[in-house]
Amino acid sequence: MSTNNIIGKKYEADYEISFEKIKEFVEVLGDNNPHYIDREFVKSIDGGNPYAPPTFAAVYCQPALKNLYFDPDFSKLVPRLVHGEQEYNFVEPVRAGDLIHTSAEVKEDYTKTNRSGKINRIIELLTTSTNQNDKLVCTATYRLVIRGE
Amino acid sequence: MAVKNESKLRISKYMPYFYAGASLDFNLIHIDREFAQANGLPDIILQGMCTMGLAAKHIIKNDHPSKMKTFKVRFLNPVLPSDELTFLSQQNGDEINVEVKNQKDKRVLKGQAIIK
Repeated sequence: MSTNNIIGKKYEADYEISFEKIKEFVEVLGDNNPHYIDREFVKSIDGGNPYAPPTFAAVYCQPALKNLYFDPDFSKLVPRLVHGEQEYNFVEPVRAGDLIHTSAEVKEDYTKTNRSGKINRIIELLTTSTNQNDKLVCTATYRLVIRGE
Repeated sequence: MAVKNESKLRISKYMPYFYAGASLDFNLIHIDREFAQANGLPDIILQGMCTMGLAAKHIIKNDHPSKMKTFKVRFLNPVLPSDELTFLSQQNGDEINVEVKNQKDKRVLKGQAIIK
């Protein structure tokens, strides 16, 4: 098991939210909530652009996470990586046209024995996303499991 | 008074590919069977974030998405293509507990959301 210290590694990236990407995302989930797909409906309630669903955070955080996953100390862990836990705190809503800046940082790296006695490595990432007005839109904790051999 | 809700969804064979395209998560365990099996998985597995997205859909329905203030989940077992998932939720005040089970009655996700 790698002993490289990855705690503190931090990557950042921007992502511009498009209505087309929101529509593509919710179509895959079979989600027909009009707040995501009906431009006229949203305009009629508050005059703004369509909303992104909360878990669209997976999309706008991805470019920052991708930079982290390509880090040589991290990329070799990816084949044995599965997602263990995910926590989101949502603050400002995200809408089509927003420009989201995300930083992704490795916060924790430890081992844990699972129910069947296997030792897994757990890596915790924190992402912080802000919009074009410097307002916090979302923080997320990714608890990733690097499955033991 | 707790409000309970249930919905069912069959995961299509192609969902991991579609979700990969939509979410930009192209980790090979989601799209390459040989790679997934060589790394100790039974088959390609659905992105956990996709199951979480489906659980969020089950919770929010057609409501305003900004009502969801927090959502945290634990992924308990992999979701495979063609799995039949049951989404169960129970609301107590602002708090919604959600659980997703597969056709073998195994829990694949449990989570909690705050809705205001």
